[in-house]
Amino acid sequence: MSMHIPRVDFGRRVLVLRRRRIAVRLQWRSVVVCAVLAVAIACTAVLALMTGSYALSPGQVLSALTGGETGIVHEVVVEWRLPRVAAALVFGAALGVSGAVFQSLMRNPLADPGIVGFSQGSYTGALIVILVVDGTYVQLVGGALLGGVATAVAVYVLAHRRGVQGFRLIVVGIGVSAMLGSLNTWLILKADLDQAMSAAAWGAGSLNGVSWTQVVVGGACIAGLLLLAGMLSRPMRQMELGDDAAASHGVRVSPARLGLILVGVALTATVTAASGPIAFISLVAPQIGRRLARTAGITLAPAAFVGALLCLASDHLAQHVAPTPLPVGVITVVLGGGYLGHLLYTEARRRL
Amino acid sequence: MSNTPLTRRGAALAAALMSASLVLTACGSDGDDTGDKATEARGGKAAGTHSVKAENGTVEIPVDPRRIVTIGNTNLPFIDLGGKPVGVTEASESDLDVLPEEQRTAYEAAEIVGSDGGEVDLEKLAALEPDLILVQFHSNDWDKVGKKLQAIAPTVYWGLDTEWKAFADAIAEAGNVTDALSRQKAEFDEKVTKIQETYGKVIDSTSFVDVSRGDWSDPGTFYIADIGCSEIARDDIGLDLPEAAEGEDPLAYESLPFEQIGELSEYDVVTYPVDADGRPTEPFVPVVETNTWKALPAVSSGRALGVFCPGNNSYGPVIQYLDSLGSALATLPGKQ
Amino acid sequence: MTALVLRQDGPGTETVPGPPRRLLGLVVALVVLVVLLVLSVMIGSTAIGPSVVWDALFHSSAGIDQFAIRDFRLPRTVVGLVVGVALGLSGALIQALTRNPLADPGVLGVHAGASFAVTVAVGLLGVRDAQGYMWFAFAGALVVTLLVLAFGSTRQGSSPVVMVLAGVCVGAVLGGAREALQLTDPDAFDAMRNWNAGSIAGRPLEVVWPILPFLAVALVLAFAVSGPLNALALGDELAVAQGVRLVHTRVLAVIALTLLAGGATAIAGPIGFVGLMVPHVARWIVGPHQRWIFAYSVLLAPSLLLVSDILGRIVMRPGEIPVGIVTAFVGAPVLVALVRRKKSSGL
Repeated sequence: MSMHIPRVDFGRRVLVLRRRRIAVRLQWRSVVVCAVLAVAIACTAVLALMTGSYALSPGQVLSALTGGETGIVHEVVVEWRLPRVAAALVFGAALGVSGAVFQSLMRNPLADPGIVGFSQGSYTGALIVILVVDGTYVQLVGGALLGGVATAVAVYVLAHRRGVQGFRLIVVGIGVSAMLGSLNTWLILKADLDQAMSAAAWGAGSLNGVSWTQVVVGGACIAGLLLLAGMLSRPMRQMELGDDAAASHGVRVSPARLGLILVGVALTATVTAASGPIAFISLVAPQIGRRLARTAGITLAPAAFVGALLCLASDHLAQHVAPTPLPVGVITVVLGGGYLGHLLYTEARRRL
Repeated sequence: MSNTPLTRRGAALAAALMSASLVLTACGSDGDDTGDKATEARGGKAAGTHSVKAENGTVEIPVDPRRIVTIGNTNLPFIDLGGKPVGVTEASESDLDVLPEEQRTAYEAAEIVGSDGGEVDLEKLAALEPDLILVQFHSNDWDKVGKKLQAIAPTVYWGLDTEWKAFADAIAEAGNVTDALSRQKAEFDEKVTKIQETYGKVIDSTSFVDVSRGDWSDPGTFYIADIGCSEIARDDIGLDLPEAAEGEDPLAYESLPFEQIGELSEYDVVTYPVDADGRPTEPFVPVVETNTWKALPAVSSGRALGVFCPGNNSYGPVIQYLDSLGSALATLPGKQ
Repeated sequence: MTALVLRQDGPGTETVPGPPRRLLGLVVALVVLVVLLVLSVMIGSTAIGPSVVWDALFHSSAGIDQFAIRDFRLPRTVVGLVVGVALGLSGALIQALTRNPLADPGVLGVHAGASFAVTVAVGLLGVRDAQGYMWFAFAGALVVTLLVLAFGSTRQGSSPVVMVLAGVCVGAVLGGAREALQLTDPDAFDAMRNWNAGSIAGRPLEVVWPILPFLAVALVLAFAVSGPLNALALGDELAVAQGVRLVHTRVLAVIALTLLAGGATAIAGPIGFVGLMVPHVARWIVGPHQRWIFAYSVLLAPSLLLVSDILGRIVMRPGEIPVGIVTAFVGAPVLVALVRRKKSSGL
């Protein structure tokens, strides 16, 4: 016996060590990936702060950031470029996490909050406020949120039939989205040009004119929601293995799923309220994150970092790629759609 | 004509690709000018300011602004008053097509600082060092960028529903082009009086309807125009034109299917949009080509009048409209 | 070949009606379609009596109302019929080809391609008239579908899954590019607003004639491949075992569906849901028999389109709602109801 115990212990230790090593190695890759992404984000942010149509030297930018400038230089750097960069970071991260939550929940790489009709619903809400009520900006934000959340709830309820099944949710979402999409087309058709273009620019998702208030308020909401998402990430990962498997691990599946849907929609809603719907980041960021970190399932942190980087880079492109600045959403659609196409294409080809 | 947008956009795109360097060069090429004017402007500011009232409250602006940027719908009306803005947001090709030569030159001389739809390049705008910014666009866009515009220079903002005469008055006052405005107003009044005197009898005894079609109209639909130029014909000249009931949407917001062309037979005279050369405007051609249109009593008896309406947001285009309306009324055959 | 197809009929026969009842259903569908064609000529935003309609159709009288019938309602009805047939059949083809009951011509990027091409035509090339749009839309739809197809092809031949994914992605990218063009060009934006709604009103028959030969060819092709497609529904291996030439069948089916969907979009703009729903309902009625599904789709799709169009004419008199918007409102609830049924009909 006395001979056996240390041998067993030794064996256990190695096993444990190995386990730990494997565990550490797995996380290590995620940590490295996130660190590299963080550096890339920092570089892009510096680039975004340094460049713009108002020519400023790096010295001026630095001194403005440290409070050494007044007047228009201070205005350009601290009040325009900085909140825009901050907004791109925070909103991008929120969209990435939101998409990750939905993809994990639906076990479908094409899932995003748009699936429960959120994007079309919020656009409908915004269009009604802009075109029918001719409301203020605050009303527009309210209308968008109301429209998005109401649509999400309607889709959830319509898909609910002894529990919500992923496939049914997707199909009902497609149906309701298509209906609202048609309604949106018609509303735009009825409007006069100025109003319609204003609405369309909002509908494309734009960070133009983002102010510190929006960044601070939106950022606070997003921080709280990200915390919630982190807390729900354990049941989320277990539910990826199937509802029964998760239930056998003690996860209460229905409340957890509802909670995750709420967090996902709320994250997107916060971003939509501030900037309009910025498409495709929530779809693409979790996929890129998963591939970079080489994790089996969807993980939140890499998705957040990729989302932030994508949003930041897209906004920079949006401001400089055309003669007049474009809404960032137009760029994310093209970039995101292209990259997603590439991913899906190679993956599907490999599988065949 | 169809080549123009292509070339212009191609050039614009090329410019975008080399944006940084080109913008810098562009700025550099008129750099001396900029310097001079900027100093002048600063001198002007010191010389004096006055306050104007607008939708964004009372704004303190220079008496003699030199570097004006016009955003949204203020660009062409300001240029119409003889203004020479240093920066403008893009105007639509269809508006530019009917612009008089010297106004088009003024528009093209200005730096483009944004597209329609509220997406304004604030930094490019700030780099122009304007001393006055004139804005008319959607209130949501104003909520977004208004504060930032005001940080660049004194900014005067009007909402989209500002009445055109009040709008012209306000732009002229803010942009210090009131002389041009009084000339235009005098000409406008004179033309209105002349039409009323010459055609008073016809106007009193005839029912009119103005129909139109836009690029945006659904295929197979037209609308009864009760806003825009025909509003001027109704309110200033006194033509008997249909009008939406109080509190209702304008009739023009309702697209009518071509079937309804037949219903126009209840009016004595039908007016429709033509271009500067008197041909039906491109969107309206499908209406003119229908057999129903040709069978209308007004059309077969020569009482369908083509009228040219280059714009209705400032006096210049409106005066052109009155000229066109006057000569159209002259062709009306006497009433049997 | 017929024997093979008949054998395919086997699995579903106990749950779906047999051939005589299917034929009866087809006759009923035909009668419904004819009734709707008549109604479409009779009902409109102006009240025109039946005698005037009769007069307009069969005598060459020159009253304003007669012109209205001949110039507007009749072409509109014909356009509805043609576009409906094309949409329904293209939907049936793509659902059979991809074995996906939710596939729709829009999925292959047809609408995105057409819409993008029209935006380029309006925004960059200055095209302004409907006849001009039409060819751009047709070309855009064809090119993008072929592009999606090229993306979706693997060495073994084209795969339905990859094809659909490729379609979604190409659609998204083109959609973004289109939006960028429109937001920087008010003229293009303005002109595109109505095109995006999809409508069968105001198209003179001259718009339909040049597209018609393409559609006719596609129609013949579609029914020619309906047998092999039946076998394909059981899986590639089984189909090959039954002597179906996979690549051959797929290429023909794709040509047919591209021409149908591209032609319909060129004439009417993007109209969703008809191509999705009608074959679905057809399959629900007749079970997994492609030739019957095709035949039912050909009759039911124009019926749905005409009903939607008539509704669009009367609910907002004297104005109208474009048919593309009505079909979404009619179609979406049906789709939701379908997936809420206990067993949604698969392929």
